[in-house]
Amino acid sequence: MIRTLIIDDEQHAREELAALLMELGGIEIIGSCANAMEAVKAIHHDKPELIFLDIKMPAIDGFDLLSMIDEEIMPYVVFVTAFDEYALKAFDEKTLDYLLKPVDPKRLGQTMRKVHWALDNNEKPDLELSQINRIPCVSANHIKLINPRDVDYVHSDISGVHVFTAEGNYYSELTLKVLEARAGLLRCHKQYLINPANVDEIIPLENGVAEIKTVNGAILPVSRRCLQQVKTAFGLK
Amino acid sequence: MTEFLNLFQQISIFLIIAYLFSKSPVFRALAGEVLIIKQQFLLYLIFSGFAILGIYIGLPTYDAIVDSSPIGIVLAGLVGGPLLGLGVGITTGCYTLLLGGLNYLSGIAFTSAMFQGILGGLVNHYYRQRNKSDQLYNPLVAVTVTLVGVALHLVLILLMARKDIAAIIIPAQLILPTLLTNSLGAGLFMLMMRDQKMMTDRVGALFSARALKIAERSLGIFGRGFNAETARELAEIIYEETGVGAVGISDGKKILAFIGIGDDHHLANLDIASPQTKQAIRENRVIYADGVREKFQCALSDNCPLGSALIVPLRVDNEVVGTIKLYEPKDRLFMNLNRTLGEGIAQLLSEQLLRYRYENQKNLLVKSELKLIQAQVNPHFLFNALNTIIAVVRKDPSQARSLLLHLSNYFRKNLKRSSDLATLEEELDHVNSYLVIQRARFGDKLEVIQEIEPELLTARLPTFTLQPIVENAVKHGISNMIGVGTIKILAYREDNRMYVSVEDDAGAYCEKLSSDGLGMNIVDKRIKSYFGRQYGTEIECIPDQLTRVKLSFPQEQEAS
Repeated sequence: MIRTLIIDDEQHAREELAALLMELGGIEIIGSCANAMEAVKAIHHDKPELIFLDIKMPAIDGFDLLSMIDEEIMPYVVFVTAFDEYALKAFDEKTLDYLLKPVDPKRLGQTMRKVHWALDNNEKPDLELSQINRIPCVSANHIKLINPRDVDYVHSDISGVHVFTAEGNYYSELTLKVLEARAGLLRCHKQYLINPANVDEIIPLENGVAEIKTVNGAILPVSRRCLQQVKTAFGLK
Repeated sequence: MTEFLNLFQQISIFLIIAYLFSKSPVFRALAGEVLIIKQQFLLYLIFSGFAILGIYIGLPTYDAIVDSSPIGIVLAGLVGGPLLGLGVGITTGCYTLLLGGLNYLSGIAFTSAMFQGILGGLVNHYYRQRNKSDQLYNPLVAVTVTLVGVALHLVLILLMARKDIAAIIIPAQLILPTLLTNSLGAGLFMLMMRDQKMMTDRVGALFSARALKIAERSLGIFGRGFNAETARELAEIIYEETGVGAVGISDGKKILAFIGIGDDHHLANLDIASPQTKQAIRENRVIYADGVREKFQCALSDNCPLGSALIVPLRVDNEVVGTIKLYEPKDRLFMNLNRTLGEGIAQLLSEQLLRYRYENQKNLLVKSELKLIQAQVNPHFLFNALNTIIAVVRKDPSQARSLLLHLSNYFRKNLKRSSDLATLEEELDHVNSYLVIQRARFGDKLEVIQEIEPELLTARLPTFTLQPIVENAVKHGISNMIGVGTIKILAYREDNRMYVSVEDDAGAYCEKLSSDGLGMNIVDKRIKSYFGRQYGTEIECIPDQLTRVKLSFPQEQEAS
């Protein structure tokens, strides 16, 4: 049974695809999401093996969503779209597939054979992921999209990942690892990322650790392990 | 009595010269109301000539006390104003001094010549000030002014004579003839000038009236296209108004219309045969075969009665698109007037053709833009709609059936639409089919509120104006919202206008609206072209909060 997640902003589309997949069998649908925020959370939490991903979704589209997922848990992706305006054929068909809406059950069968083969051969999705230009965050029941340039620093604790900006702090579903890799943020501590553009001062302390003061006045720890990396980033020895 | 006869003889010579002058092209300088400097100078030379001529044909029997120079001087002032009068006066005076040497008589002659010029000029000024410049050509005025001018001269001589013993006493019998001949001469000269001027004016007026009439009658005919039908209408008008023997219009290859003498063999739809016409088209210039030096040669028939022709190319952007031909039969002369008129008509029609072509292109552009928008919306919407309906079939076949009916209604209306008007009710019906399907797709995410004043349902608006705006609100607005979105469609009256506004609470496409990738421009263009520039679209956009597109229309039409 392939653990599968369906992501589409239309309820009927999700239901129809689920129904078609059930008819084919061999699939366990572990959930369905109506937008990218829900999807990032579900993927990081449930780690599905396969996702069916609608490209056109509100706020964050299917491509953006992929760049927000930790590569280590990247599932096999099947794009679903109503109209081929995204030149999907440009993608490597070995690791990706796409379906056109309305979905033809026969075509879906082909796709599933491909997925089975890929999973059996442990073919890893090799996606070229783009930079994140908007970090989706949740704040008081609405979704806020933060430009990485406006980020002061990012902190993670047991409750999750918090993005700090001059205006306040927001909860994000994205992991530090993803943000470090694709949002231009710099790791200064196991639990902290800083925005290099907003660093005001680096204060060396004893024992090979340091502190960073941001332009907004926040003081962040720099761990021994990360100090060298921080120094290098700023062109220091 | 002999004095009278002598004087009349001399005046006659003078008048013959004046008559010739009034027929010469130089006289045209006087046809206008305001004289430019070049014309002023020309008149100065002419009238000075007349005045000096007057000295010579003065009174040869006696010492030239008073001659006929006042005619030229006074008329110069009358016709050309104080400055011209003074100029001619001084010139004549100087000439008198030159002839007579520095003595009292010459001095008096000089002074009175100046006065006569100024006098005529002042009368000119007086009448112009009172907007009665036509009085300047009144012979009676010329008679009176000249009379006063000559009298002035005589009085001056008498005054001087009393003071100076050496002064010559004017023979009494000379006074009356001098006064009479001068004033009579001036009067007759003026009469000639007036007649000539009136004739020129009348011919000009006749010409203008004819040209205007043709312009008026032909206006807009080419607005319906340049074809055999419109060409025939035009040919008829030109034929009637100019009175030429025949009129032909061609499109550069074929005769489109031919009316008048020779229409038995100059038939519409025949290829152009005459070498002169071909030459006019090839060389893009007017060809004039006056029938005397160059004869019009009919290529269709040897017995063609037509002898002269004017062939004017019709041009659009300097490219020959056709010709207009005016013909006269062999037994009639081609009037110069008609030649000018013919060229003018061709110019006028060329302008009309250019305008027609421009309008035509503009219309085509709007239509093709419209088609493009209609085509743009479809594929994404169609496939998503089908996908939704396929899903609905599983759960609720009757809803699926209703959705399919809406879908077909939507597409039928989309495909059928031309660029005509539809009622608001029809527009809303189209919009509703669209919204029903979108609501099925998005479920609770899409809310629609409609507030339409029922009286406005019969109001007319250009088809496909409301539809793209509602589609934009869904496609670029609501579908980008994570939560619930609301679309409000309102139709109401305010300040004597009808407004239809479409509003969404996403505020998601402000940028796209300002750059107009959404076809708002064409909606605006179409409303303006149907109802006038004061109507159209108004856009308001607050990012993340609201987008409102308001269409305004005239209100009176809803009564119908």
